[in-house]
Amino acid sequence: MKDSEIVDIISRKLTPFILLFGFYLISYGHLSPGGGFQGGVVLASGVILLSLSRGVDSAMRSFPLTRMRRTDIFTFALILAIGIGGILLGKNFLGNFLPLGKAGEVPSATFIFFLNLLIGLKVGAGMSLICFYLLRED
Amino acid sequence: MLRRLLPIVLTAILGFVLLSGLDFQAPAQRTLKDYFYQEGVEETGSINLVSSIYLGYRAFDTLGETLVLFLAVSGIVSLQGDEK
Repeated sequence: MKDSEIVDIISRKLTPFILLFGFYLISYGHLSPGGGFQGGVVLASGVILLSLSRGVDSAMRSFPLTRMRRTDIFTFALILAIGIGGILLGKNFLGNFLPLGKAGEVPSATFIFFLNLLIGLKVGAGMSLICFYLLRED
Repeated sequence: MLRRLLPIVLTAILGFVLLSGLDFQAPAQRTLKDYFYQEGVEETGSINLVSSIYLGYRAFDTLGETLVLFLAVSGIVSLQGDEK
């Protein structure tokens, strides 16, 4: 499925920057517009670009299917575990039990940051899995 | 004739019951919006009010959204088969 040299090279050079931008959106979700869902979809768009331009099998070599599935499941289990941890520490389910920090600085709102990170990884893995399964040829 | 009238009567009764509970006069209360605007940054530590609501006050709703995506993925996996 290798059509054009230009598409091949540009997509390979562009994908790391798309992934970096996705992680930026996720990790600054408590300060600027963005967050887990948007950043996760940007992560998945990098994977989808790779699998559209170079074929799903080639993208699966960089992003193995079993690892994506494990990410999808374990991040969801971790979100549930954080929620139950809130109960164990005397707050509500998914209550904020981590230090808040000073609002507006980069290391602040630790709880929201960790939930953003987990949700971002989960959405990225889930969207990439949907793309892998729908575009696969066999 | 009775069979044709029965749904109309039932619908009228149901509509009356549902509409009688509505108050058409007063506008909706807006105290929650003001509360989020004034207390949201201090209570969650995030200056982005959108994420302070969707991961702070409404985190349970976000959990449901991730569950929806998880179900979509598992539905596609079950439809496409998993030989590999």
